[in-house]
Amino acid sequence: MLSLGALAFATPWVLLAGLLLPIIWLLLRVTPPAPKQLRFPAISFLFGLKPREETPAHTPWWLLLLRVALAALIILGLAHPLLNPRAAIIGGGPLILVLDDGWAAARDWNKKRASAIELTDQAERDNRPMVLLTTAPEPGNEPPVALGPQRPAEIRTKIQALQPHPWPSDRAAALAAFEPLQLTGSAETVWISDGLEDAAIAPLAERLQRLGSVTVLTPAAADLPYLLLPPENTPGTLDFTVKRPAADEAGLTIFRAFAADGHLIDREPVRFDAGQGSAVVHLKLPVELRNTLARADLEGQDQTGAAVLLDERWARRPVGVVASSAHSTAESLLDDNYYLERALGPYAELRLGPIADLLHTPLSLIMLPDSVLTSDSDRGLIEQFIQKGGVLVRFAGPNLAAADNDKLLPVRLRGSRTLGSALQWTTPEPLAGFEPKSPFAGLTVPNDVTVSRQVLAEPSIELADRTWARLADGTPLVTAEHRGEGWLVLFHVPATADWSNLPISGVFVEMLRRLVSIGQGVGAGVQQVAMPAQETLDGFARLAAAPGTAAALQPGEDAVVGPKHPPGFYGTEQLRRSLNLTSGIQDIAALKTLPQGVTRAELALAGEKDLRPWLLTIALVIGLVDLVIALALRGLLGVPLGRGTAAGIALLLAAAAAAPAQAQDKAADDPAFALKATLHTHLAYIETGDKRIDDVSLAGLRGLTLVLNRRTAVEAEEPMAVDVEHDELAFFPLLYWPIVTGQPPLSAGAIDRINFFLRNGGTILFDTRDTDTAEIDPRGGEGQRRLQELARGLQIPPLIPVPPEHVLTKAFYLMQNFPGRYSGGTLWVEAKDSGNDEVSSVIVGSNDYAAAWAVDRNGRPMFATSPGGELQREQAFRFGVNLVMYALTGNYKTDQVHVPSILERLGQ
Amino acid sequence: MASPAPVATTERARRRAEQLASVLPPLQVAAERVAATVIQGVHGRRRVGPGEAFWQFRRYQPGDPAARIDWRQSARGRFVFVRENEWEAAQSVWLWCDPSNSMHYRSKRGLIEKRERAELLTLATAALLLRGGERVALLGTGNPTSSRATLTRLSQELGSEDAATAAAGKKAPPGSGMPPLHSLPRYGRLVIFGDCFAELETIQKTVATYAARGVRGHIVQVVDPAELALPFTGRIRFEGMEGEGRMLARRVEALRGEYGERLEAHRGGIAEIVRAVGWTFQRHVTDQPSEAALLGIYAALAGPEVR
Repeated sequence: MLSLGALAFATPWVLLAGLLLPIIWLLLRVTPPAPKQLRFPAISFLFGLKPREETPAHTPWWLLLLRVALAALIILGLAHPLLNPRAAIIGGGPLILVLDDGWAAARDWNKKRASAIELTDQAERDNRPMVLLTTAPEPGNEPPVALGPQRPAEIRTKIQALQPHPWPSDRAAALAAFEPLQLTGSAETVWISDGLEDAAIAPLAERLQRLGSVTVLTPAAADLPYLLLPPENTPGTLDFTVKRPAADEAGLTIFRAFAADGHLIDREPVRFDAGQGSAVVHLKLPVELRNTLARADLEGQDQTGAAVLLDERWARRPVGVVASSAHSTAESLLDDNYYLERALGPYAELRLGPIADLLHTPLSLIMLPDSVLTSDSDRGLIEQFIQKGGVLVRFAGPNLAAADNDKLLPVRLRGSRTLGSALQWTTPEPLAGFEPKSPFAGLTVPNDVTVSRQVLAEPSIELADRTWARLADGTPLVTAEHRGEGWLVLFHVPATADWSNLPISGVFVEMLRRLVSIGQGVGAGVQQVAMPAQETLDGFARLAAAPGTAAALQPGEDAVVGPKHPPGFYGTEQLRRSLNLTSGIQDIAALKTLPQGVTRAELALAGEKDLRPWLLTIALVIGLVDLVIALALRGLLGVPLGRGTAAGIALLLAAAAAAPAQAQDKAADDPAFALKATLHTHLAYIETGDKRIDDVSLAGLRGLTLVLNRRTAVEAEEPMAVDVEHDELAFFPLLYWPIVTGQPPLSAGAIDRINFFLRNGGTILFDTRDTDTAEIDPRGGEGQRRLQELARGLQIPPLIPVPPEHVLTKAFYLMQNFPGRYSGGTLWVEAKDSGNDEVSSVIVGSNDYAAAWAVDRNGRPMFATSPGGELQREQAFRFGVNLVMYALTGNYKTDQVHVPSILERLGQ
Repeated sequence: MASPAPVATTERARRRAEQLASVLPPLQVAAERVAATVIQGVHGRRRVGPGEAFWQFRRYQPGDPAARIDWRQSARGRFVFVRENEWEAAQSVWLWCDPSNSMHYRSKRGLIEKRERAELLTLATAALLLRGGERVALLGTGNPTSSRATLTRLSQELGSEDAATAAAGKKAPPGSGMPPLHSLPRYGRLVIFGDCFAELETIQKTVATYAARGVRGHIVQVVDPAELALPFTGRIRFEGMEGEGRMLARRVEALRGEYGERLEAHRGGIAEIVRAVGWTFQRHVTDQPSEAALLGIYAALAGPEVR
């Protein structure tokens, strides 16, 4: 392997091919490029032409450079360059890779795996077979993985699939799994270890040393796993111990506590001084939060040694109140349980029921009001309960005062006394104070609590120790005895308010809360049934459903974490127990002792980068680019990329952006036009582009408007000009369209718009203005021909000449001829009425009506009518009025209502 | 350039041609002397015939119908006169658009194919003529008409020529570049649209044959700018579009000068041929606007006659 600083070549002899590069350059330069193919029609002029100079064309220099660069890249790529090459593994023979995958290896697992894959890559380059050996048992108590000499590629796939296991490594089993592999010859070993001390490391290392050199790679001291031990079951704070293997330098880790639903309850830093191997975290939580704790771990560790699962054993238990039935009957103030339930209800979970039922579930405290009678078996259960650490709180009362030998008392009683009753001159005693050693220490003594009747205790030597609260004259109010692991507490007054007003004071609540906190959970009994695995932790301390290989915990079996019992939750919904790895492991230490001859190194990723795939990919891309360029130069590409393409594309985009703007109607752009057109009725004419004709149209419509305003109810304003290409037509009920020969043909958009207008109730009067020439023109009138050309594409319905009884003949004036400037032309209307309110949408005339109606500024007519003179002009105006009334009112005039009067007038 | 939807394309072509032709006033082919009549398109033929304009008074010959005697004129003199009118007939124009493969060429994406431009000019000329009332037909497809449907029919015929050429593909027989020899009546006009890359002898033969029959023609040569300027560089293998063969040019830029000279010589030859028989010639390059070509055609057809 040739190395030049940070760059190394794995197969350096390929670089000799670089000597060929100049020859390639020369060849490429000399070869003329392939000619471009071109089809040319004027080729007949090219035949036989001899050029003056014959220097052949050659490939452009940049293409030459590209090709030589391509060849150079291929040669470099084939030489397998490596950046930051890893140090070579010495020796021949297979390479044995031992990988610790117990719980301790889960921290920094990615780094260990990447390091293993690097070693595999190196072995692949050196063409050495590999052996893989893991040290933790497989799930279901299978032996650790031991794969015989195989190709490194297969080993690599196996390594990539490896995950750490949540139980400890078993190196003896690994040694046993290694034996059958039968390796002969020498073999180097690289052991990626988890860094912790274990007695079984040495035998395995010695066995491997027999085959060849052994190198052990350990993580740095700061990367070694920490240990989190489960807390003790103390009342008050939960104390978690955190241990670390390498105690040389100061360290910091972060402790986290989670509730059962996953949200974070507590997070605090844990500091280690230099030389300190363990630290304690005191977790002080209110009872409600403490009961919800499910998991505690160390942040960033991600291994099961730093995760502790908590179940009900660490939770504070509910309070039991002995009652005759499970249902609360405490509705009245005289009931015993009333004050207890009101006092403790907000703070603890209260259970009511007979003693036997209560003791099925673990309780922290049992309260026994006076009115409940207990049988002997019940007393036996209570005794057991107290012995195991439960707290019994008894309340005195008439029954207790009358009872004789009751063993379930902390002190011997001597009867009761009454204070401040009618026949005495003593006053009820107030509460004096709480003993400092009692759980009530620190409570403020109220001055309104008085006791008027209480049971008395027999004076004895232990009475002073057992008293927790006193009255003003020194007699005990609350006594307690420590029996076994639990307490027996006696209130010398009942839990009702008849002997004293303690139950109705606030201090009663505080006292009961203190008592609850000294009770601790007591198991209902030893484990009776097998507990199947519910949820287990994987190697990275993530909780997941239990795999099939996790067996149930059997009663009587010692619960130790192993391949058959991964750490997690076992049991059923009612009874859940957690199994923690660290309940079995108490201490860890960093790896120190290794057999002699074993080299030890720190685990570090070399960061070796293989440049070969990069170089070859770049070479491939350049090759494709070269191919495309060669095709383009020969003109074989479909799209010739000329100079104009970019400009063409830019123009296309600009045109596309402008086209919608152009296609908008002017009404959308110009609200002024729309406003003007719709505020009043306007007669409108189509602009033809011929200024003379447009002026005549305007003047004609103006004259007609004057006549309409004078004679009819139509109040029309100034006539408006309409550009049929751009303006919105819908505002006008009647359009006047004079036909001229110079009018440009209609665009498709205009045709659509006119069709829409005609279909939806508009009326257009086409005026071909050629009555004078139509009769002598052998091909029909000029205007008519032009109209036919213009109207190609318009949906004009079939037209007939106006029949004598048509509405136009009687819409306002009665008339049968419709002259304009000329007379005699036919007026055409729609053949049958469409749904357009029986108004014909197209009316075609040829008598040049605008010229007849045209008046100038002074009101004088502009054009002479022929042949009729002014009478004809009047008829023309009458026709105009009829037309406008017809267009505006529709079929109103066809009503039968007017027929009699019309008939009468016609008859005259 | 086969049109997959012939009706739609011909309609589009017709519409475009009409829009192009709308900028010019209707074309009336100049005749020797036009009698001013209201109705367009009717030319006096300066001879006696059916018509309406007065031409001459002729002495009454036995055999003339008595109803034709003009009594007013006869009363003026001693003899009896018959009124004769001028023969008025609309002019017939034949158009020909080169359908051969060499017309289906354009050098750049932005340019239009020569055949498309020639078709557009053909239809625009037809639109102008129709508007002026002349009779138009494509050469070889029947008699000229001047009805309203003529333009549509012309565009359809051009479209079907395109379809035929496209269907024949490379197997089409090489066109001669000049119209085939049809028998046209005298005084007809012929307008030829093509690239005129044929041999000068072929052109000479065609022009001479038509001129001998009294037809006056106008040749419009439609070329692509690349055919004029030969803007290619490098090593190119040219291939003819009508099966002329291939040619490898090692350095095309070196051939440019000679090629240009040959082309100009060819153009000069055509101009000579055309001038000899009194026809007119114009060249149109496809990157120039088509209105310029149309103006040239208009001037050629409407201009004063040289006879």
